[in-house]
Order: sequence, then C-alpha cells, then structure tokens
Amino acid sequence: MASQGAHDTEETVEGEVTISTSPVRFPGAWLSGENGAKKWVFYLPVIFMILFFVVPLGLTYVWSVFERTAFWMKPGFTMFSYINFFTSARLDNFLYSMFHSAIAVAIAFVLGFPIAVFVRRRITEVAQHRVILLFILPFMVSEIIRIFALRPLLQRNGLVNSVLINLRLIDEPITVILYTPTGVVIGEVLSFLPFIVFAGFLAMEAVPKYIFEICQDLGAGFWRTFFDVILPLAAPGIFAGSVFIFVNGLGVALLPNILGGPGAVNAGLIATQAISALDYPLAMAVSAIMMSTLLLLLYIGHRLFDLTRILSPIS
Amino acid sequence: MSNPRVPAVKVAGLAKSYGAVEALKGIDLEVAAGEYFVLLGPSGGGKTTLLRLIGGFIRPTRGELFLHGRDVSALPPDRRPTSMVFQSYALFPHMSVAQNVGYGLRIKKLPKEEIRDKVDAMLDMVGLASLGARQPHELSGGQQQRVQLARSLVLERDILLLDEPLAALDAKLRKDMCIELKHLQEKIGITFVHVTHNQEEAMTVADRIAVIADGELIEAGTAKQIYENPERRFTADFIGENNIFESTVTAVSGTTVHVELGAREISVPRREIDVKKGARVWLSIRSELLDVRPDDEEPSVGWEMLDGTYLEKVYLGLVSSHMVSLKDGRVVNIRKVSGGDMEFKPGRPVCVGWRRDDARLYLL
Amino acid sequence: MLDEYGNIIFHRLKWTYLLLIVAALMSPVFYVIYISFNEFGFGAGRYAFTLEWYGTIFSDNLLMGALRWTLLLAVITTLITVPMGLLAAKFYKNTRYKVATVAILLSPLFVPSDILGSALLVYFKNLNKAMESLSDMLGNEWFYGWFELGFMTAIIGLIIYTLPYIFIIILITMARYRDQQTEAARACGASGWRAFWDVEFPQIRPGVGAACAFAVILTFNEYTRTNLLKGGFDTFTTVLISQLLNEGMSEQSYAMSSMVSFVAIAVIGAIIFYTFIRAERLEREARAKAAPLMAE
Repeated sequence: MASQGAHDTEETVEGEVTISTSPVRFPGAWLSGENGAKKWVFYLPVIFMILFFVVPLGLTYVWSVFERTAFWMKPGFTMFSYINFFTSARLDNFLYSMFHSAIAVAIAFVLGFPIAVFVRRRITEVAQHRVILLFILPFMVSEIIRIFALRPLLQRNGLVNSVLINLRLIDEPITVILYTPTGVVIGEVLSFLPFIVFAGFLAMEAVPKYIFEICQDLGAGFWRTFFDVILPLAAPGIFAGSVFIFVNGLGVALLPNILGGPGAVNAGLIATQAISALDYPLAMAVSAIMMSTLLLLLYIGHRLFDLTRILSPIS
Repeated sequence: MSNPRVPAVKVAGLAKSYGAVEALKGIDLEVAAGEYFVLLGPSGGGKTTLLRLIGGFIRPTRGELFLHGRDVSALPPDRRPTSMVFQSYALFPHMSVAQNVGYGLRIKKLPKEEIRDKVDAMLDMVGLASLGARQPHELSGGQQQRVQLARSLVLERDILLLDEPLAALDAKLRKDMCIELKHLQEKIGITFVHVTHNQEEAMTVADRIAVIADGELIEAGTAKQIYENPERRFTADFIGENNIFESTVTAVSGTTVHVELGAREISVPRREIDVKKGARVWLSIRSELLDVRPDDEEPSVGWEMLDGTYLEKVYLGLVSSHMVSLKDGRVVNIRKVSGGDMEFKPGRPVCVGWRRDDARLYLL
Repeated sequence: MLDEYGNIIFHRLKWTYLLLIVAALMSPVFYVIYISFNEFGFGAGRYAFTLEWYGTIFSDNLLMGALRWTLLLAVITTLITVPMGLLAAKFYKNTRYKVATVAILLSPLFVPSDILGSALLVYFKNLNKAMESLSDMLGNEWFYGWFELGFMTAIIGLIIYTLPYIFIIILITMARYRDQQTEAARACGASGWRAFWDVEFPQIRPGVGAACAFAVILTFNEYTRTNLLKGGFDTFTTVLISQLLNEGMSEQSYAMSSMVSFVAIAVIGAIIFYTFIRAERLEREARAKAAPLMAE
C-alpha cells in the first residue's frame, strides 16, 4: 500500500518473518549525496517536467484567450476561439469523436482485460514476463505505422476483403471498415489494446492470487467473482487505462486523418489543423478543452477509486 | 591511537523526528572506548535509529554526536570512524567474498598485495580462510555475517556498529556466534555498538547494556545491574521474568513502605523512592526469587508470605513455571529449577513468599 | 500454474485467444512487411520477392540524411533521459511527496501527442520571442535562437515523451535492489557516487539496458511531437509519414515502414530470446544452490 512518504520493509528470513528494523526511508537519508548542496541534481527531472510540461500545458489556458493575428497571436482576452469552436460544425464532430472513443474503450476492455485476468491467474511468474514482452511488441512498432498499415488491410481491395471474397463468405467488398467512423474505432482499438492489457496487468496486481481460491471455495460463479471482487479491486488500474485510451483516441490526429472518412476529426486533428492554418488561439483552446476533460476524468476517477493505489506494486 | 579516556561515542540530547513521529526523543549516552556496548529494546523503539545516527546514515533533528571527542554530525558515513555490519542482504552479490572484504581497502587505494594480505588475514580471523573465491549466495547465513565482519574489521576503524547482526540466524548458530563476537571484540579491542532485541544475546556479549524503548533511554548498566537491580519499571518488565503488580501505598515508615497485595498489607524496603500514603506504585519481584510452600508451613524469618491457590505448572526444561492465584485474584509466576520436590495439585491452598529485600518499588 | 480443478482445454483456449490477439495486433505490420518485399507492390495480383524497394531507400540521400538525424535524436534522447530516469527514481524513493512526484512524472502518458506537441510548439515560439526581447534589451545576441524550433526543441519534446516510460522501467528494476547495499558501501568508505557506481549500478544494469533500448525504439517511432517541434530538418519517420500522407502508400514507403518496424521486432525478439536463455541459466544455478551447502 503506497502511503504518503513511508514504506516498511519486511524481511522474510529462513522461514521466519522478521520485521526489519531499518526505519522508513525519509528525506535526509544520505544514500546518494555528500552534503546538502549536491542534492539539487535530484530535482532536475522534476524541474525539467515542470518547465517543459506543466508550464506549457498550463499556459494553453492563457493562450486560448489571446487574439489571433495574421501569423501569430496577440495577448488579450477574448473568448472568440472558444465561441468559434463551440458554434462551428467542429463541435458536433468533436462530440462524435468522444462517443467513438468511448466505444473503442469499451471494446478494448472486453477484448483485452480478460487476457490480463487470465495471465495473472493462470500463468507462472516467469511466463508472465514473456507475455508482457509479447504485448510490448506491437507497442514498440511505431503507432503511426500501425495505423497506416491498417489501410492495405481494410481497404476495398485490401487483405481482409480479398480473403473474405476468396473464401466466398461475401460477394462484395466491405467498405464500412475504412474511411468511416468504424474504421477509426477499429484503429483505436488495435492501437491501444496493448495499453489496456498493461493497465490490466497493473490493475490485477491489486488482486491477490488467493482471492480466486477463496471465491471458488465459497462457491461463487465466474461472473459473481468478477463483478464483486475483481472489478472493485482492479478498478483504479482499469480506470487509468480507460482514461488513457479515451484521451488518446481524442487526441491522436492521425486516427481520423488516416482511417476516418471525409470530415472526420478529433480534438487532436482540429488542433494540428489550426496550427497549420496559423490559428494558434484556436489550437490552444482545443488543447485546453482536452486538458480540462482529462483532468476532470482523472479527478472523478481519483475520488471514486483512489488512483494512487495503482502504484503500490512499484513503490 | 585515541585517548582511552575520551568516550568512543558521546551522545547529547540526540533526537530524530520524521514529521510528527518522534523516533528518538532526546538521548544522552556515553560509550567508553574499547567497550562492547549493546542497545537493547523492543522493535521500533528507537535503538536502530540511534545506531544509524551514530553511523551517519540519517541526520539528527537536534542534539550532538561526538565520536572520540570529534563532532561528526555533519559527516556522511564514509567519513566517520565507524563501520557497520547489517542484518542481512548487505554483501555485494556481484563480487566474490574476497572482493567484498577488500572493497573498502580498494577505495583507500592500497596496493594490491597489501589488500590481498589483509583480506587473507581477516578471513582467517573470522574463520573463513579458504572461502575467498566464493560468491555470497554460495555461503550460509552465518558465513555471510562473518564476511560482513571481515569487511568491516579490515578497515581498522575505531568503532564497529552492528545492526541486529544475528537476527537472521537460527537459535543455535546465534548462541555460537555471540560468543565468537565477544571473543573477537576482546581480541581486537575496538569499541562495538550492537543493536538487538534479544536479551540473551545482549547479556552474552555486552560489557554494558542500554535499554531503549519508545525513543527514550530507559536505563543503562551492566547485565548484572539491569537484571538484578533494574531502576525503572520498564526494565524490570522487559528483562528477565518479573512479577509486576500495581498497588497503593498504605503507610510509610522510615525505610519501609507498606503496600497492599493479595488482600493484605506487605512491607517493602523503601530504597530511594519517595512516596506518601495513598500513592500508586508498581511492585516488582523476580520470579525465581519466589517460593511456593504448603499453607501450613511456618513462614521464614524476613520473608513475606501470601496465601493463595495453586493453579498449574508449566514444564520448560531447565525451569518450571508455577502459577499461583492470590486472594485478590492476581496471578503470581514462580520459576524454579525443574526436578525439585514441589509437587502441588491444582486447587490446593498454598503460600507464596519471598525475602522482603527482594521486592522493589517503582513510581507509577 | 493450473489448479487441480482447472480445465486444460480452457487453458489452451485462453492461450490461443491471447496469441490470436497478439497476431491480430501485429498482422497489419506483418502484412506491410510482406508487401515490402513484393516487386509489384500492393494490390497487384502477383508476388515476386525483391529487395529493390529497400535499395531505393539506401540510395536516396535525403532519406539517409533523415535516417542519420533520427539516429542522432534517438541516441541523444536516450543519453539524457536514462540518467534523468535514474535521478527521478532515486528522488522518488527518498522524497516525502510521492504522489505529487509521480503525478508530475507520469502525466505525459495521459496527454495525447498532438496536444502536447501543439502546446510545446507555441511555448517554444513564445519563449524564443521572450528571450530575443531580453537580448535586445541587453543589447546583444546572446539569447537569440535558444528555443527556435529545431533539434533541441525536438529533443525536449522527446524527453517529455519518453521519461515516464523510462521512469517506470527503472523504478521496477530498482524495486529489487536493497538499499542496505548502498549503505554498506558507504560504511566501507565509498562516496555517494562511488557507492552507486560500484554497487548499485552493476545490479540494475539489465534494467537500465532495457530502458535504453526502450528509449531508442520510442524515439525512433515517435512522429507527432517530433514533427511539430523539429523545425527544419527531417527525420526518417517524418519523411515517411509526409510521403504517406501526400502520395499514399508507395512501394518505397512499405519498405520504409518495414525498416522501422524491424528495429522494434529485432530488439524485442532479442530480449525474449535472451530471457529464455537467462531463464535456463538461472534454473540451473538454482538447482545447484539447492544442493547442500558447505557445513559451517
């Protein structure tokens, strides 16, 4: 259990469980610094993140209310970009893309989470690592390439259609799987399935192995075990994984760009298009909206599930 | 060579807090040079914190720390005249035994031959003469601790700190290594500061023992002192097996205090305690100084006797433990060497008694 | 480990499902690789094995230049991010504010690439302008061009992208390391840095190696952020994507995609292979250890 700033070490020694007397590792432990002055170097990563991640994202809110100029923006305060966004056709498309993202999350969950449960429950520790590697493989191939690579697969004259036609399962090629919202959803699911599996792995760390035996002992069927026991325990990890997929579905411009039909957009595409059109405030407004959605989701999740639990396996 | 009259370790008002948690509440302590000093106490009581403060692994919140007269509070572990033996998992797994032992010498940049000679000599001294080429995981627990000893002692520092070094070993091995540690320290002559929660271990090796609990120094003294004449109730409770009862003072007269126990008034020597009638006190008697007698026997001179009912006997090998319940319901534990002629049936009325001088009082 | 009541058929079924999913995930890539070797490209009814498309890559100077840039980006990002990850892991272990630290270090995972890229782009442009004004005020050119969109801004974007992954990998690796070892080294006279290098690093080396491999692959594959932040030069991936976007999938682009994927497949394949070998060796060692130890 990761509690703020402390962890006890338990040593299992020769069959006895001895509570180690090495006390909690709090700041001040001189594990790597000659004296106080040298400690600043450890703050570098956090400082870097704050400088180049937190600040820029925070500033999107500021920039989103700037005025647009021909090539750049002018500091000011105007809700023009937001109004522009909310009243244009873009809004509908944006909402659609949220809907599709949500569907993708659901499908990915149904497809991928059982894998995590199966691996955690039935496979030895050693083999578990190999399975993780197996799922890292698609993740390591460039996500862009994976998205693009869906075209030759799902096109009119692509592999899927050729195979189906050759097997005489269909007469006409299926066109609904590419350049349509369906195509986007397929692309999302395939791109992010490894993540839900990883998130599932992490989430299942919260479920101790003996739970399954206990449930069997008590005579609980599979579904009861799942809903009453696994889901609540694994909820933080599942939620985090779902938010991840959802937000990325909204934010990766290439998904609708490559796989969607004409006019298909998501927030990410709107933002990059806006930048190409030199409408920076609009791009920032879209980014700000995305960030707010993300923060809102994470906040809700934290209140519901206490997301810090996800980290207990690693702390 | 340091002045033998300057204490090896001197701690003044040393305290350590983690946020709101006070691990150590302000300790004053002195360890003489060349002494085998033990910090004894329950888990989480602060003894390891104190040891790590001495070693430099944590920084004090306030207070001062002097090693051989030098203020070391600003120094990290590698610059203090201390070396440390840990409980377990402290050998470097990617180095052989000889490389482990020689590590500190390599840091000091000694020539290779000198390192080899010193390592060999030290391995010999701890009884691991031919095992230099082994890897740590190939050794048993006891052997690993010896390697740690060798690694620390080869540095020829003035103070050796040991953090529950024998806790990971089984009982028989622990006993043997205790004695070896004692002999080792006597042979080498440097100061040892040894942390443990095991009484027998403490009493085997220590010249002096400090009882530390709840972040405080309860008491310090030789094994004999704290066993036979504990000055604090906690010590009496923690060391040996003492019967400790809460009681009220009924009268004070000169060198005697009268308290109530077993529905009767008994007298206890006052010693240095300062109480008035009505004060609440603790009464403590060592279980081996009590005796159980048939209730129709004559009380001995100078003894306090109480009536009671014999409850049961627990056979523990060398000693047997007898339980007797007093008239006020409290249970007394009497320990006697097994095989005596004390056979009573449970339920039989008996007398429990002790020499008046063997009881002690503590303030509540 | 199958419990006694487990059904072996179900077990096999579940394994098959798992492998099917992986296959489904990888099939687009494998198909692309398949096509890349086809002389007739995609959609033609015929197939003839050829390396000619790969040949066009290596003879194209623009592409080779882009490839060099990509490799440079990958190496430099790794060289910066992995040490940062180590620092961050140590910081996390010793700080009291664990939740905040982790939140900051892991949030980039949750921010989609386009959003992060856009925000950083605007940020850098503003920063650059600000620094230029500062220079003007001081009457010189010291602060000019620091954050102009170019190599450095691309690196910064890549570091933000990869650091969370590296941080997690290193944390997991360090979880197996016992801090007593560092303390013991310090007690032997080693300085903080020495203790890390002599004692801790050798034990976390495999994890650090994995982190480096991960960082290289991630950088190689990254597109969106790099594209937005790179300014003038081209990377292999950006050339590839712009080709794909503009001209559709040419035969050469199949070959290029395959090349990029090969790297990942080769690395992961090597790791899987290596862990198999290591698993064998560890098992042999464990069996040897289980044999009776030397008597005291």
